[in-house]
Amino acid sequence: MAEWGERLAGVRGVLLDISGVLYDGDAGGGTPISGSVEAVARLKRSHLKVRFCTNESQKSRGKLVGRLRQLGFDICEEEVTAPAPAACQILKEQGLRPHLLIHDEVRSEFDQIDTSNPNCVVIGDAGEAFSYQNMNKAFQVLMELEKPVLISLGRGRYYKETSGLMLDVGGYMKALEYACGIKAEVVGKPSPEFFKSALRAIGVEAPQAIMIGDDIVGDVGGAQRCGMRALQVRTGKFRPGDEHHPEVKADGYVDNLAEAVDLLLRHADQ
Amino acid sequence: MAARRALKAVLVDLSGTLHVEDAAVPGAQEALKRLRSAPVVVRFVTNTTKESKQDLLGRLRKLEFDISEDEIFTSLTAARSLVEQKQVRPMLLVDDRALPDFQGIQTSDPNAVVIGLAPEHFHYQVLNQAFRLLMDGAPLIAIHKARYYKRKDGLALGPGPFVTALEYATDTRATVVGKPEQTFFLEALRDAGCVPEEAVMIGDDSRDDVGGAQSAGMLGILVKTGKYRAADEEKITPPPYLTCESFPHAVEHILQHLL
Repeated sequence: MAEWGERLAGVRGVLLDISGVLYDGDAGGGTPISGSVEAVARLKRSHLKVRFCTNESQKSRGKLVGRLRQLGFDICEEEVTAPAPAACQILKEQGLRPHLLIHDEVRSEFDQIDTSNPNCVVIGDAGEAFSYQNMNKAFQVLMELEKPVLISLGRGRYYKETSGLMLDVGGYMKALEYACGIKAEVVGKPSPEFFKSALRAIGVEAPQAIMIGDDIVGDVGGAQRCGMRALQVRTGKFRPGDEHHPEVKADGYVDNLAEAVDLLLRHADQ
Repeated sequence: MAARRALKAVLVDLSGTLHVEDAAVPGAQEALKRLRSAPVVVRFVTNTTKESKQDLLGRLRKLEFDISEDEIFTSLTAARSLVEQKQVRPMLLVDDRALPDFQGIQTSDPNAVVIGLAPEHFHYQVLNQAFRLLMDGAPLIAIHKARYYKRKDGLALGPGPFVTALEYATDTRATVVGKPEQTFFLEALRDAGCVPEEAVMIGDDSRDDVGGAQSAGMLGILVKTGKYRAADEEKITPPPYLTCESFPHAVEHILQHLL
């Protein structure tokens, strides 16, 4: 593989995944990944543009940012690209009234959305709300629609909490796809539109941007398909097999965000 | 297809073939008696995710069918026999009523997942537990993959969507054990001590009974009772070996032409 200097040349903007890169979440509040608080601070003091790009759909941006600030991170709501607000925009544009299969903690993001007489289903990482009854309700809403529309906030397979790996929204999305014989529209990584909106927010073009994430497919593969570069951290849901993934090869693998930031500050264009 | 050999076994579907809901197919009890007088092994094969053999047997006996428990082979039996072959300890995501069919199977400290239709188990905590076992390399065994079924209050999700969820999350494939999987028929025949070329299947489901059996190398007879709908016999290739009115006609054909 080429030298880091070559691999990171011309980088002006950085997209940071949150869960598994900044911290490992859990029911309590989560634990910062060692060195990540300082790494974010250093990055933000540098000349590089920084945007947080998350598929978090268990919490509103406000709650997520509040939690991260408690852990010591320098982050504010306006710096975060998340799927729920992006979905709201699509719902408004297309005149869709969703049945919401989502976590209570993210419901506030949909406060301005008309949910009466639903003509689509929005599914997020509902956590405990993924009961058979709730899944069945979403299924029945879809089956009653002439043209069923399913919008999924990300399609991750799993993520890591301090207690271990947790099923993400992707499995439940697939369950509804299979039951109804439909394809969901994914809002979030790895959808190119989602990465592009994050890049627009910091005014950086894809070839000058790099994604740092723990998901080889959703973060790394998705960003690369948009023309960005991408690093995978060996934290969060990272598994050793990821470095030999049959389809996706990251532009580099680093132990954690701190190492990624070291390399970026040393090698990205001044 | 291998050359046919002398008939040794007859596999018979239950619901829709011997009985439709709580009524026997006319003449079916008598026909079964006649079949039993011939030198063939008879096995009753069915896809079920919640009825144990005992439940099935109770219903059939009430309808005055002469059947014993060890002649019944269900998708639950097939799951059990796969669990035994693999020598694994399953986490059982099955309806409580199906548990008697897994009696004696070691389930503590599980290293496999068996999934049937179990709405009470299909929720976040339990699915997450199953997911973690699969991530540690446990095999996933599915009784079947039906998308949904009809309940009194409307359509309801079947096991298929939840199997698919686990398959996607873990990037693995489930082993499906019910009809129309070849392994289902082969297991039922192993139990009967013969090979597919020595066996015939009688059922009302063109794809799951007849198509599945014929893909496994058996002859398939489609009966026009139960879920049969006009032209069902044209929905599979090759077509059924025989399509006839009902179970008694199928038995008559076997006695006259296949022995």
